[in-house]
Amino acid sequence: MMMNTIRHHPDDAMLLAHASGHMEAGTSLVLASHLELCESCRERRRELDALGGLMLDTLEPAALAADALARTLAHIDAGTPSPPARRIDTPPPLPLGAEWPAALAHCSATRWRWIAPGMRWSRVTVPESPRANVFLLRIAAGRYLPQHSHHGLELTQVLYGRFHDGRALYGPGDFDLADGEIRHQPVVQDGSECICLTAVDGRLCFEGVMARLFGVLAEV
Amino acid sequence: MAASEPPLPGKRTPALAIVPPVGNVDEDWSAALCALAQQQDLQAFARLFAHFAPRVKRYLMLAECPEAQAEELAQEALATVWRKAGLFDPCRAAASTWIFTIARHLRVDALRRRQGLGLGSGDSESIDEASPGFELADLAQPAAEDRLDAEQQHERLRRAFALLSPQLRQVLSLSYYDEAPHTRIAAELGIPLGTVKSRVRLAVAQLRRLLE
Repeated sequence: MMMNTIRHHPDDAMLLAHASGHMEAGTSLVLASHLELCESCRERRRELDALGGLMLDTLEPAALAADALARTLAHIDAGTPSPPARRIDTPPPLPLGAEWPAALAHCSATRWRWIAPGMRWSRVTVPESPRANVFLLRIAAGRYLPQHSHHGLELTQVLYGRFHDGRALYGPGDFDLADGEIRHQPVVQDGSECICLTAVDGRLCFEGVMARLFGVLAEV
Repeated sequence: MAASEPPLPGKRTPALAIVPPVGNVDEDWSAALCALAQQQDLQAFARLFAHFAPRVKRYLMLAECPEAQAEELAQEALATVWRKAGLFDPCRAAASTWIFTIARHLRVDALRRRQGLGLGSGDSESIDEASPGFELADLAQPAAEDRLDAEQQHERLRRAFALLSPQLRQVLSLSYYDEAPHTRIAAELGIPLGTVKSRVRLAVAQLRRLLE
């Protein structure tokens, strides 16, 4: 339903980082959320998985232990312990028509917390990488985030509503990558609030107004 | 010569007589995986093991796994191949691609453990996510008949990759093999770190053009 309207996609360098296993867990989640909605990016991603298969296939074989096959078969016979059940927290409520990405299913998220008038957030905890900085921002129609720049990568997937960052308009399903060179000031469009899933690669590091804003968060 | 011998009674061997020897790169690994899934074919598994386990081990060693750990994880990867063979779909992916996704998952896990982020729980379970069959939004996949056989696509990819310039081949290889690919690519190619991403994009774009 949203597929036709997606206009902003991850570039090949980012898809390759994902396909080759070089993305940090938090940013991977945001990218996976985009792939759920975007068939064209899934196709590009499949090509890069296939390239990974070729890369594996063409590697020079390493010498294995003499009993490697026997040990593997013994390992198979022994079976594996069944994994513990995933803990799925109830995610914070969403407006009608919005859906959580399936990629978040194994994560937990806090309730919506107030940051500033018209702005709330929810911290997402990624079990396989507790230090990952992943959060949801929920911003009311017509509100804007103070201008900020980035230290490291900031990946955003729009889940609901629309914002304009001074460069382009972003709507549901759109993906955005901002790095240290970009200063932007996202403005949520009139008519509807906007909810985004965002991951910051590395430490969450805001300056100026954003630092004060997130300073408030820390005290909540 | 084998070709001049009469077929063994009760066996349809002419096709088999021209099958390349075990371990040849032209072996139909998808068929081997399907035989494993359907009949628990030990011979098929042994051939898959002989071909892929040493390559998975090399892949993990390039990712800076100590050799003993790479050995252990390569065995684990192939044990996973056995257990999950039923999830392999030859219309979706070539066998090497499917095994790559398993190896990639183990590599990411090993890296997290080295960084002290590893969590015991969830690791074995999330191997499911490493298999393309488990990836998200399967509902929107094109129908199988709309796609070329995955092994044929893989062969096209192999030929297209061979046509790339050595430098772009190196960019792509390092992207998959190296632990810090961008730094390494910059060093190997003698280009500024800031231009690596555009070189990566160029390599992917050229490969895609060759595939068209």
